[in-house]
Amino acid sequence: MDFTTFVKPSNGGSGDADAGTNELQFWKHVKYIENHGKQEDDYEYCMTEFLRMSGIYWGVTALDIMGQLDRLERKHIIDFVKRCQCATTGGFAPCEGHDPHMLYTLSAVQVLCTYDALNEIDCEAVVRFIVGLQQPDGSFFGDKWGEVDTRFSFCAVATLTLLKRMDQTIDIEKAVKFVMSCCNQTDGGFGSKPGAESHAGLIYCCVGFLSLTHRLHLLDVDKLGWWLCERQLSSGGLNGRPEKLPDVCYSWWVLSSLTIMGRLHWISSEKLQQFILSCQDAETGGFSDRTGNMPDIFHTLFGIGGLSLLGHSGLKAINPTLCMPQYIVDRLDIEPQRLSRP
Amino acid sequence: MHGRVKVRTTEEERERKKKEHALKVRAYRAAMGRILKKRDAGELDDEMLGLTVQILHRNPDVSTLWNIRRECVLEKINQLAAAATESSKSDEGQAEAEAESAAKPVEQEDKLQSVYGQELTLTEQCLMVNPKSYNAWHHRCWTLEHNPQADWEREVQLCNKYLKYDERNFHTWDYRRYVTAKAAVPAEQELDFCTEKIKVNFSNYSSWHHRSLLLPKLYPNEQRDRPMSEEKLQEELEMVLTAAFTDPNDSSAWFYQRWLLGGGAQADQPPKVVAFRMGATGAVVAFNKPCPDFEQFRVELASNEHMWKLESWQPADSRRTTWRTQTSIDYQKDESYCLKLAEQEIKLLPLPTGDGAFYFVPPHAASSCSKELFEELQTQLQSCYDLLEYEPDSKWTLLTSALLMRAIDVTANHERSLDHLVQLQKVDALREGYYKDLAASWTLELELAKWVTSTEFPKRFELSAESALTSLPYGQYLAIADELELPAKLKEELGDRLPLTFAELKL
Repeated sequence: MDFTTFVKPSNGGSGDADAGTNELQFWKHVKYIENHGKQEDDYEYCMTEFLRMSGIYWGVTALDIMGQLDRLERKHIIDFVKRCQCATTGGFAPCEGHDPHMLYTLSAVQVLCTYDALNEIDCEAVVRFIVGLQQPDGSFFGDKWGEVDTRFSFCAVATLTLLKRMDQTIDIEKAVKFVMSCCNQTDGGFGSKPGAESHAGLIYCCVGFLSLTHRLHLLDVDKLGWWLCERQLSSGGLNGRPEKLPDVCYSWWVLSSLTIMGRLHWISSEKLQQFILSCQDAETGGFSDRTGNMPDIFHTLFGIGGLSLLGHSGLKAINPTLCMPQYIVDRLDIEPQRLSRP
Repeated sequence: MHGRVKVRTTEEERERKKKEHALKVRAYRAAMGRILKKRDAGELDDEMLGLTVQILHRNPDVSTLWNIRRECVLEKINQLAAAATESSKSDEGQAEAEAESAAKPVEQEDKLQSVYGQELTLTEQCLMVNPKSYNAWHHRCWTLEHNPQADWEREVQLCNKYLKYDERNFHTWDYRRYVTAKAAVPAEQELDFCTEKIKVNFSNYSSWHHRSLLLPKLYPNEQRDRPMSEEKLQEELEMVLTAAFTDPNDSSAWFYQRWLLGGGAQADQPPKVVAFRMGATGAVVAFNKPCPDFEQFRVELASNEHMWKLESWQPADSRRTTWRTQTSIDYQKDESYCLKLAEQEIKLLPLPTGDGAFYFVPPHAASSCSKELFEELQTQLQSCYDLLEYEPDSKWTLLTSALLMRAIDVTANHERSLDHLVQLQKVDALREGYYKDLAASWTLELELAKWVTSTEFPKRFELSAESALTSLPYGQYLAIADELELPAKLKEELGDRLPLTFAELKL
């Protein structure tokens, strides 16, 4: 199964062809996502089948933020997601033939929430899958093969939150303790495991985790917020660690973390918006990691998501913790914690 | 999907690429199809290992293929173990050759080691293609964990090699921490390794980070008010300033410097009561940081005669740093009162108006330091001033010198450190909002310390002269005041985030 069948025939309604990259190339991005994987033998598409479920989440979410979700075939996507649920473990594989994993389980549940289709799958089996991966120290394995990472702690609580099954499933106190054991006293940030260097992607996972478990008071907001705002470079883009290059996806991770912490005003939103817009591919649509690079679906979501958080017009609001449209989070009656400005 | 530059290609080149890609897609599909078929049939054999290699060499992120390899490895281990049992029973094995070799335990072990060896070789090859492949790194750990004969020392050497290619690869650093623990490498030796790395290139945040984990262990600070012993701290300050001055625009060393100047590990300390006030109809308590589960605390108020249990606490702010209760207390002004909660016992002072008692401790300022450390800080500050002579807009020097001033004498240097923040708002405009909030923090720290000596303490807090304030950190400290005089602009800015006064709490 590939993305082709998810896409409705395009009516060719692409809008204005203003080639300037200082403006959002709205219709080009819509088309880019719509066409993603249309040629079934597309090399990139084929080589990324191992993360297809996340790919679908990126595309679906970006299109929904742009108010264009109906361009994809709901039924085909839901059928695909259903076929990826592992009958034995309850977890989701990225695509058929591959093994279930925490990462794709979250993506699958996010997609189903967006389509209001959780009733289509065995949710109890998903809960069992997640619960079974928690370790005595509170951490989570990504799958039965034992990789431990704070990303999986986030995936676990995000999935359970979306399923409304946070109560009486996992050991939340232990999960919190593990995540906090990955906090670095030098910069207040988080790495993938205890002792690991702070990294914006993992900071997003841990701040998101604390937002979902309503434990944001455990953060050293001043310290971490300073380190995060120092990620902004003169181009306006944000990097993931000191002395690294800026990147649209890191921009999202830093931006969303700062937003959750009520410290968005510690960076220049205007400059960041300029940077994100400069990473659009004005020809093909889609966003790349940096200005002038090849676009991909992953950076396209984080480009669109970043612009939404910054309040760009014409986009639906996005929730910084779950990276999903806010109206869906509201519909599910979920309230991830957020701190107010000082 | 990172760092691929978009290049213009000719039609001819595009056609060639297209054909090449089509072939690759076909090869991938064929191999993947065969792999899944074999897996269904339970054929976890050498052919399977060969097939997975074909794909993993190009694309080490296909995690399912690593899972299949692990299944193959486990299968091989089982087979070898079974063969060993068979031969020990001196039964005739199903495969003659295998049973024969299994008769010799040395050969048996060699075979086992070659199974593990093959996995290690493959992960090394894959890490050459993608040094940041989570899957390849994890497979390496998994393989070593399964091998009781694992050579951890060799893994440390491998890290040395990989860190030469990329000294910032956090996977390699994580792996290094893992294997040095397994190989029981002493922390001193790791610290030396860090020092060497930093000497080669100061701009190495990863190495500074590694160092920050080792030093508090090797040189602990008993009072926990500094990250490490004062003696070591002084040495580190010298080293990091040299590094920072080598390239003042590189942030790595400056981050480390700020950590050194900070107060040590605070995050895991429980919330502390910083303000309390009670009257006849209730009480308010404020903490230095959020205390979301305060409802569960046992809180008692004791006079010489009586003891009240203070219950039914309600949060008075969204951060839950401030809590109030409407428990009525028969306050007698000649009595002395004491608040007991968790591990704290707090003596209360009578209010000057005689209608209640209170407690207050302003936010902590810099802790005292030894003469040697003090001198080092002054030397560093002087060096910063010297640098600022040549580069008056050097952001990191401006910030660090402000921090140094405050470490030396926070009150005397207050105005000057704020001047630096004002300048930073200009030279580092991206972070203007941060510097404004930092200035507000510093201002409130000073004003709250001064408040204690004011004649109107604790009833009235006067801040209307600070017209530049854009935020009000430490707002919870003001819960004991009846009147807050704040600049109009700040009031407007804060809106409903304006902290409630004692009077407004309507206890």
